[in-house]
Amino acid sequence: MLELSIFTILALFMLGGSIAMISNRQTVFSAFGFLVTMIGLAGMFALLNAQFLAIAQILVSVGAVVVLSMLTILTVNAKEENLPKEPDKYKWMLFSSVIVLPFTVLLYKTLSTLPDHFSDIDTISSKVVGKLLFSEWVLPFEILSILLLSAMVGAIVIGRDSKKRKQKPERRRRI
Amino acid sequence: MSPNAFYLLASLLFSIGLVGLVSRKNLFVLYMSIELMLSSVSLILATLSKVLGDAGGSVMSLLIIGVIAAEAAVFLAMIVNLYRAKKTLDSDRFTMLKEGEKND
Repeated sequence: MLELSIFTILALFMLGGSIAMISNRQTVFSAFGFLVTMIGLAGMFALLNAQFLAIAQILVSVGAVVVLSMLTILTVNAKEENLPKEPDKYKWMLFSSVIVLPFTVLLYKTLSTLPDHFSDIDTISSKVVGKLLFSEWVLPFEILSILLLSAMVGAIVIGRDSKKRKQKPERRRRI
Repeated sequence: MSPNAFYLLASLLFSIGLVGLVSRKNLFVLYMSIELMLSSVSLILATLSKVLGDAGGSVMSLLIIGVIAAEAAVFLAMIVNLYRAKKTLDSDRFTMLKEGEKND
């Protein structure tokens, strides 16, 4: 009973947060909705007895990803006229919800053909997860580490100010 | 409690992400919608891990969290670069790759 009430509260938080995320005009409030959703997801992982996953979710998604995106939003600091003009945003959202609804039902029906009860092991210990990560899943783990490295290099290359770098040699010539 | 509730929540979150991706134009909202869809898949995997009693789903979910972090870095750098070029967050205004379109 307690589990169910915690689940309901967290689920309402997550759904509310995600709807606030896609419907707010101001980007910062969207980021706050995203934050609420991510914290709710960490709670869901904890409710599924995957403690390590919950901690990783809090550390990575909430601590790094959401904070980084909020920092970027506040750095970009888009004024009202730089935001996209979406006069019939709610109409589009309603329309696409109607289109997506059959897909949601299909997804849920497909997923609910899976076993309808939890197995009797009460917890997925981080010891087992760690051992699996470094034995059976070591190749995906290594690929992920290369992906993170290349993403880091790519972010530096993409985010660099190219115009500024071109101007520097000219200034030297003038001197 | 039954895993069906988790399945329902994950499919709802995925659909909300899809609706946000289709109906909005703000680049940041598009980015957060993609993240939301990835996170809902991660929730499905974690649920299946408990249903089947197999820790492999948790490991996969953990790897997805890593992919989310990598995607965030590249996407945010891209948004900063795009905003620097055109001073807007409207995804319809970025037509640099279109043929015959002048860009400055």
